[in-house]
Amino acid sequence: MEWYWALATLIGMVIFFMAMGTPVALTFIITNIIGALIFMGDMAAWSQIVDNSTSLITRFTLGPVPMFIMMGALFFHTGLAIRVFDGLDVLFGRLPGRLCYLTVAGGSLFSTLTGSSMANTAMLGSLMVPEMQRRGYNKRMSMGPILGTGGLAMIIPPSALGVLLASVANIDVGKLLVAGFIPGFVLAGLYATMIFLQIRFNPSSAPAYDVEMPPISERVKLVVTNILPMGLVVFMVIGFIILGWSTPTEAAAFGVLGVVILASLFRVLTFDALKASVEATVKVGAMVFFIIMSSTVFSQLLAYSGASAGLLEWATGFEVSKYWVLLLMFIILVSLGMFMDPTSMMLITVPIFFPLAQQLGFDLIWFGLFVLMTFEMAGTTPPFGLLLYVMLGVAPKGTTLYQVASAAFPFLVCDAILIVILVFFPSLALWLPGQM
Amino acid sequence: MGALFRAYNYLLHGLAVLSGILIFFVFVLIVVDVTIRTLGMIPPPFTLSVVEYVLLWFTMLAAPWLVRIKGHVFIDAVTQFLPGPVKLVVAKIVYAGSAIATAIYATRSFELLQTSWIENKVDVRSIDMPQWTLFAPMPLCFAMVSIEFIRYLVGIDDMYSQTVEEREGV
Repeated sequence: MEWYWALATLIGMVIFFMAMGTPVALTFIITNIIGALIFMGDMAAWSQIVDNSTSLITRFTLGPVPMFIMMGALFFHTGLAIRVFDGLDVLFGRLPGRLCYLTVAGGSLFSTLTGSSMANTAMLGSLMVPEMQRRGYNKRMSMGPILGTGGLAMIIPPSALGVLLASVANIDVGKLLVAGFIPGFVLAGLYATMIFLQIRFNPSSAPAYDVEMPPISERVKLVVTNILPMGLVVFMVIGFIILGWSTPTEAAAFGVLGVVILASLFRVLTFDALKASVEATVKVGAMVFFIIMSSTVFSQLLAYSGASAGLLEWATGFEVSKYWVLLLMFIILVSLGMFMDPTSMMLITVPIFFPLAQQLGFDLIWFGLFVLMTFEMAGTTPPFGLLLYVMLGVAPKGTTLYQVASAAFPFLVCDAILIVILVFFPSLALWLPGQM
Repeated sequence: MGALFRAYNYLLHGLAVLSGILIFFVFVLIVVDVTIRTLGMIPPPFTLSVVEYVLLWFTMLAAPWLVRIKGHVFIDAVTQFLPGPVKLVVAKIVYAGSAIATAIYATRSFELLQTSWIENKVDVRSIDMPQWTLFAPMPLCFAMVSIEFIRYLVGIDDMYSQTVEEREGV
């Protein structure tokens, strides 16, 4: 079979079964079974695909995924998340649009501590939107920063999706995680600038209001007790990786330990919180791992059928700049993201895009970050970006998808600006991993 | 029959609880391992291999429970626009396809388990692991996933009766 028919058959099956509403993991399992029959010829191949499905899932490098989920869940269920927010709240004083800035600052911190876009958006949405509405913020200003910041979790380490991407693409997990650190905070800065400009041009969109400010000693105390200790957890995760003291899996386990220690010190560590956190880890972690397990064979089938090699040869045969190919990959990812969750997108595109990027001479750590950024944008792209629906779910009654999507738009522009910056200044992402 | 169903439900939930215990054990094991190493002592040689195997067990043991609680992510971008009766037919096809596919995985993994047990195969990692321990959870768990889809197929429940927030666990 020609490579393009093989590619069309395999990708076509995945898209067809997903479109039918088949659970993503089962989509890959069904495709594997049919694909093995087509390309390997007989039912004996089924034993081979079951055997091969265990290869990726039993890698130590995937360990940070459940650890990061547990860390984030503990952070939420013990109430430590709210303490951080209270601490940040006193820092912004009577600044116009303070709740928007609070969202970006709090969201960036949550991102470093939870690594989940969905949880970030849901929590910030349910916490901040009602308060912003009460203070007379319009819908654009109340939802936009949350949608933007929710996606920060994908690139600011620890990012569970980053670990998955690195494992599936077979690149250094620690380096990819660390690569997102500086660009993540640059993006947070871009968001803050966007908020400033929006308020500057339309001051009534986020009216200033009087806030009762506690005395300076009280403010310092809140910062010291509520924000600084979280630095310990961040250090346990990112610091340990950068300093080479531990592998990402070990650093992630110490991140969990950090939250457990903090929760104990604040006397908020209960059996119920621990139980709820482990349950959340099983729900999200096992679901994602089941998809990874099912999809392992899919990328092997792409290679076995000659689809990957054929496409690679074809795509690199054109006399065009590598940046045009990058743009094409960006468009494909964002288009897929309108309909698919990031994990599914990743598993379909990684076996094709990463060898292509390597062939074109892109640094794979840089390319990994580019892909994560694109996932982030795809999550807030209408009509089916998942974060839009999460926001719609926690927004006040009567909010439309159009309102949510238009609130997200200025922040999508910020994402695009960061991607352009990364294209021209790749060292922004690569400097920190280069120090490891 | 009722007792059989109850036992099955206990097993389904029990396996999910075991999955949670295992992942918590991974956290403890890694922290202990790194602490021992930091103190200048020799950490146990099995940590790496055990963690790797537990990741598979953690995934497999929770899989049937995740189907039961509608915890597996799917895309309804197309099916949401289908008229009710067509949607129902498509859903039944999905349930049937999923049940058959996982039944195939269950039988094939049982064969792999049998072969690795009889031939006493070893998986070479940081320590040598008996290969049957890799396949051990797969036949039962894939079979249970298949049973869960059959439950949906015969109309005991509907996998698609959840909001997007419930689906995303937020």
